[in-house]
Amino acid sequence: MRGGRIGIPLALLLAFLVFLPGGSDAASKKPKKRAKAKETPVNFDKTLPVLGTKLAELPPGEGKAVADQACLNCHSADMVRQQRLTEKQWTAEVTKMTGWGAEVPDSKRDALLAYLVKNFGPDNDRFEPVATRPVGR
Amino acid sequence: MKNWAGLEARLAGLDRRRFLLLAGAAALLPGAVLSPGTIPASKRRMLQVNGYPTDAETPLDALTTYLTENDLFFVRHHWNPTYPNVRRWSLTVDGEVERPLQLTLGELKAMPRASATCVLQCAGNGRSLYKPILPGVQWKYGAVGNARWTGVRVRDLLNRAGVKASARHVHTFGSDKPPQKTPPFHRSVEIEKLLEDGIVAFEMNGEPLASLHGAPARLVVPGWAGDHWMKWLERLSAQPEPQKGFYMETAYKYPKQPGEPGIAFKPDEMRVVTELFVKSNITEAPPRAKAGEAVTLRGFAFSGAPDIAKVELTDDGGQTWSPAALDPQHDPYAWRLWSFRYTPRAAGRVTLAARATDSRGGEQPKQAVWNQSGYLHNGWHSAEIEVGA
Repeated sequence: MRGGRIGIPLALLLAFLVFLPGGSDAASKKPKKRAKAKETPVNFDKTLPVLGTKLAELPPGEGKAVADQACLNCHSADMVRQQRLTEKQWTAEVTKMTGWGAEVPDSKRDALLAYLVKNFGPDNDRFEPVATRPVGR
Repeated sequence: MKNWAGLEARLAGLDRRRFLLLAGAAALLPGAVLSPGTIPASKRRMLQVNGYPTDAETPLDALTTYLTENDLFFVRHHWNPTYPNVRRWSLTVDGEVERPLQLTLGELKAMPRASATCVLQCAGNGRSLYKPILPGVQWKYGAVGNARWTGVRVRDLLNRAGVKASARHVHTFGSDKPPQKTPPFHRSVEIEKLLEDGIVAFEMNGEPLASLHGAPARLVVPGWAGDHWMKWLERLSAQPEPQKGFYMETAYKYPKQPGEPGIAFKPDEMRVVTELFVKSNITEAPPRAKAGEAVTLRGFAFSGAPDIAKVELTDDGGQTWSPAALDPQHDPYAWRLWSFRYTPRAAGRVTLAARATDSRGGEQPKQAVWNQSGYLHNGWHSAEIEVGA
């Protein structure tokens, strides 16, 4: 209650400063901010997604679960979908990635390779980059 | 871009005559004033190649200005980075130096400033164009841009630290940490190159460097591929030997001599990727034209050499070439915009290809040298035009 007694005059003083014509910084800053927001044109297509928000998914099939677990900790499925690799190249990639920490149980390695070769071989045409808004917009 | 929006807002308050006077004055000061972007809204977009880590290239039709706008500039992340806390960030300069430095951003900014307008291109730009096909981010044409970078010369930093004659390489370290057991992205650059024109940049086209581009500071190595341009730079260490590790000894290697496409080069047949290769791209070409009526093609050209001497186009597969007009605006290691008036002779489908020649005489080849990592693709770029009668 003691605070209330001090609070009311303080509030009145603040209100006075805020509404003082051409007065305090607070009063002159507010309309400027609004005006600036109005002047800034949106010069890109707002229907486009923000960069990094639209992610590809791996196609269904035997091996998808192990691919999800092994690959998607470090990169989105886009990275897999855009590859067009031979079995030899996929074998080398899986060996490299497991060496770098991708979790592929030995019992699932063949299924993962078969899945990658089947879906993302040299004739893979699944991938198209996602058109997004400009960076940071 | 905030800067351009602010500039437009300020210009809106000027009358036309004053604006023209100012624009005229600006034209007399090449490099001193940034030309505002002129990319129309319909073309202001990015092509996201990876959702995470962020990899996005610029569509060619948005690469038509001398300076690439910051929000249209390609982004290449190796991993999901932890961006440095700018207030706690510092740049360490150590190794073979008399006086190791640890500078806050404020202390760095208090040093004499330097700027360079030059091309930044990802080493893997164009990887998807190689045959046989290669693993990795499948960049097409747009992992490249031209910007004005401002910061402090590496030379000034090394001199302030009292670099010793024993230092031959500068090891570079950023703050991004690899996931799991992935090797760290540690690199090094020959000290001569950094003493010549290396910059620790904290501004890009007059704006503070954005996090996606390496804030608060990144290395700028004019004329060299993007793998040297360490983002989120935290440490420069002068050393007698090059950096070791996967990203120096295995990745970012290019064949010393061309070989057979599809046959991997052995480690001793490779060298570290350094300078960019001479290259031109077509950014504007009409899909249709009429015989006897001139059309205009446009593009850019750049090289690891400081300038472009000429850009030529052919419509007969390289038997005859005609010179394009080079835009006068240029800086060392920046790109040159070019334009080419072309009058088709007869109806039918015509393929025009562009090739650039740099100031050292280096000529863009018809086909890039295949290499197992898909680096530095620079084969002729072509555009097809359907010519009506």
